[in-house]
Amino acid sequence: MLIIILRRLGQSILVLFLVALISFLIFRFVGNPVDNLMGQEATLLQRAALEEALGLNDPLYKQYFNFVWRAIHFDFGNSYRGALPVAELIASRLPATLELALTSAIFALVFGVITGIYTAIKRGGFIANLILSTSLIGVSLPTFLIGVLLIWLFAVELRWLPSFGRGEVVTLGWWTTGFLTISGLKSLILPSITLGLYQLTLIMRLTRSEMLEVLRQDYVRFAKALGLSNKQVHFNHALPNTLVPVITIAGLQLGSIVAFAIITESVFQWPGVGLLFINAVYFVDIPVMSAYLLLVGVLFVFINLLVDLLYLAIDPRLRDSQLNGER
Amino acid sequence: MSENLLQIKNISVTFKTRHGVLKAIDDLSLNVKKGEILGLVGESGAGKSMTGAAVLGLIDPPGRLSSGQIWYKGQRIDQAPETIRGHEISMIFQDPLVSLNPLRRIGDQLVETILTHMPITKAEAVDRARKGLEEVGIDPERINAYPHTFSGGMRQRVVIALALAPEPALIIADEPTTALDVSVQAQILDLLKQLCRERGTSIILVTHDMGVIAETTDRVGVLYAGRLAEIGETRDVLTNPKHPYTKGLVASTPRIDASSFDKTLYQISGSMPKLDAMPNGCAFHPRCEFALDKCRIDRPSIIADRAACWLLDGEETLL
Amino acid sequence: MMNRFLDSDFFHDFLRAPVALISFCVVLILVLSAVFAQFIAPTNPFDPASLELMNGFTPPLEANMFTGEIFLLGTDDQGRDLFSAILYGLRISLFVGLMAVTLAMVLGVMLGLIAGYVGGWLDNLIMRLADIQMTFPSILIAMLIFGIARGLLPPELRYEMAITVLIISIGLSEWVPFARTVRGSTMVEKEKEYVAAARLIGLNRWQIMIRHILPNVLGPVLVIATITFALAIIAEATLSFLGVGAPPTEPSLGTLIRVGQDYLFSGEWWILLFPAVTLLALALAVNLLGDWLRDTLNPRLK
Ligand SMILES: Nc1ncnc2c1ncn2[C@@H]1O[C@H](COP(=O)(O)OP(=O)(O)O)[C@@H](O)[C@H]1O
Ligand code: SF4
Ligand SMILES: [Mg+2]
Repeated sequence: MLIIILRRLGQSILVLFLVALISFLIFRFVGNPVDNLMGQEATLLQRAALEEALGLNDPLYKQYFNFVWRAIHFDFGNSYRGALPVAELIASRLPATLELALTSAIFALVFGVITGIYTAIKRGGFIANLILSTSLIGVSLPTFLIGVLLIWLFAVELRWLPSFGRGEVVTLGWWTTGFLTISGLKSLILPSITLGLYQLTLIMRLTRSEMLEVLRQDYVRFAKALGLSNKQVHFNHALPNTLVPVITIAGLQLGSIVAFAIITESVFQWPGVGLLFINAVYFVDIPVMSAYLLLVGVLFVFINLLVDLLYLAIDPRLRDSQLNGER
Repeated sequence: MSENLLQIKNISVTFKTRHGVLKAIDDLSLNVKKGEILGLVGESGAGKSMTGAAVLGLIDPPGRLSSGQIWYKGQRIDQAPETIRGHEISMIFQDPLVSLNPLRRIGDQLVETILTHMPITKAEAVDRARKGLEEVGIDPERINAYPHTFSGGMRQRVVIALALAPEPALIIADEPTTALDVSVQAQILDLLKQLCRERGTSIILVTHDMGVIAETTDRVGVLYAGRLAEIGETRDVLTNPKHPYTKGLVASTPRIDASSFDKTLYQISGSMPKLDAMPNGCAFHPRCEFALDKCRIDRPSIIADRAACWLLDGEETLL
Repeated sequence: MMNRFLDSDFFHDFLRAPVALISFCVVLILVLSAVFAQFIAPTNPFDPASLELMNGFTPPLEANMFTGEIFLLGTDDQGRDLFSAILYGLRISLFVGLMAVTLAMVLGVMLGLIAGYVGGWLDNLIMRLADIQMTFPSILIAMLIFGIARGLLPPELRYEMAITVLIISIGLSEWVPFARTVRGSTMVEKEKEYVAAARLIGLNRWQIMIRHILPNVLGPVLVIATITFALAIIAEATLSFLGVGAPPTEPSLGTLIRVGQDYLFSGEWWILLFPAVTLLALALAVNLLGDWLRDTLNPRLK
């Protein structure tokens, strides 16, 4: 058990170093740190001095390790626009993105699993087929279009919900939350649906196919043969076995949700890191792009690791196989 | 012992496919008496498992019981099979490695089954579960273990405990030892037989092993291509098979007394027809050495309560 | 056993076949109207001379104030005929999608062939790269490449090269599925006799790969290409909608939707609706077509 965790940890760190390398290459070679700090009018001599001071003449591997070292200490340099430290910019916007991602993930998981189970149990039924064909359209609908259409319906026509921003937020230390005010919660609804809808269809389809697979297994037939009710068979026997792979994949999707938040945040002018990133792409703000990549990389690796551990916790076979060496 | 517990009356199981409707079971009738062990034998695909599934209403779509009736203790059950599952008829599957829910402790599975069928408290159910484990030769202290911590043979013991827990009057055991090590097969069969005899529980024992039939069963039904070929007291069928297919089966079974060197085993040539290429008349006629003209045209039904073969026609007196 | 599979597939095929046919027609109509936009469109939407600000925000089916011509789908804020703008926008969306898929396909197939045929450390390198890229959503990769490319280009070229950069970004973000499939098939094919025979008569590696292995992997590649085409169209629309794709001077469907969103609140719904419906029809039709192709050819796709 310990060994496998350590091994996963090692792999994760390797991937992180690779992502950091790409981040570094972007930071170092796409942007020009000297131009950024001095502007075009500086003399050659001044530039050379600054290059030396910034360590730009050091061997590349040294610069890379410096970059990583600084990144570990949350130092990503200054944004080209406004000259604020990138770390501060990201920190101020991270709560917005994380709250949005979390809400969407829960929305997607809950409704995805429920509809997935429903469509598996009621296979071939009218409502089940309706849900399935609707989901096909859902998959083809680009995220931004879902957002725009939701705004049109609920913000413009019905005027029920706000069309942009986080509403009122409450500050708790360095964290700002929209969970504690009515307007904050109302503002969360449309963006969360927009962001979660695609994952919802994905989780639904996955749950459905896993459930159908599990329902064909002998232990389910055996449970039925023992006279357990449909409810017992579906929820005590089929569901746990369905959820193991579903939770794994859904967990892995959490990273995608954060990345896709870029689109949702743009549509709803949601003040998160995604909006920060897309503006950085537009204005070629290299330090922000590089830091964002690193942030997302860390997040993905962290999530992968967490899902692995969760998997170990849920499945007794895996849990023990690490102890006894049997499979 | 002559009271009929289960009566299968002319059932057919069909699958709708693009090649038309396939009959996996074709007009099959069987009785199971109280307390007896009835063997069902036949090669793979003959419809043995399907017969068991039909009794419990566990046929997976697109298959369905398309005609016939199933009666249990004088009541018709094929329209609401879930009412008899567990406490009247339960089932044991072939592969114990996949019969137990891998995510749940064996005790939980036992207790859940017991509580579903008996109006007792949880504590009493746990007691019963421990006793059940003990009876099948498993240390009751392992009640909280997960299935994967047991070997295949031990798991099949747990499965037997589960199948017996709701105190059924009939157990359908579908090749309960096929997936096990040869060394434990006999133990498991003996255990099953002993426990059922003690309780007066009947068994339908599905197998493709004539040796198992000989050692374990009171009566035996031989299935061929979804049809009943022969049925009778095990001793009669084995010593004096009436149906040419059964004759082949018996002749191709190694004798325990024969030395392993001089047994040149009989082999029936050809193979069982596919469901979508079923011959007219007797399903066995393309392989039958005794086939008559009639056999190619008319399908024989069970004659003299024994075998579905035209050779028996008019021979009743000779039996 | 096999029959059981065929049966269930057959059932689906039957249900889906009309869907596939309709999808194909929709794609065909959209492609043809994009290709012949010049002849179909009543005006050239990007000829400033044809624009009259006074015609701005004309609702659908109302007349041009000057010429009396009917604007089928209305006009946008600048009095541009929306129908014409959609036709031209569609052309850009399809062009970018097609070029991006071609790039992804060529790149992916080549890397897959190399990885599968040569093996060793090269295979390892390519597949690890693919693994890492696959952990991130491709739209993020595309945005990143777009940003990097913009950073590398001198500012004065940013608009001019935008379409090219867009194609490269999307193309580079979608090569992995091609590479994985081709690598798998190549590893199977290269063990077969005819490859050994080809080697014996003295063909070199590249000749063997191109002439003998490539034709055998075309089926799955075609399926992936269709699915990727839908993804590329959506990616293009998304990037353009976010303002980091097609420039305002060459608006694609995504750009038109971006503009349309601004006028939702003031009630000019048509500026948003018609480009959105066009995009949706295109994406849905290509998706359904891809689904159907996959089920019909049924290659073992990951
Ligand atoms: N879904 C299905 N579609 C068509 N035929 C099936 C299906 N499931 C089982 N069968 C057929 O039913 C017949 C009986 O199978 P089964 O009862 O499992 O045989 P046995 O247990 O005797 O080996 C076989 O010929 C098998 O091919
Ligand atoms: S009915 Fe005819 S073909 Fe069938 S087993 Fe008897 S003799 Fe052979
Ligand atoms: Mg069987």
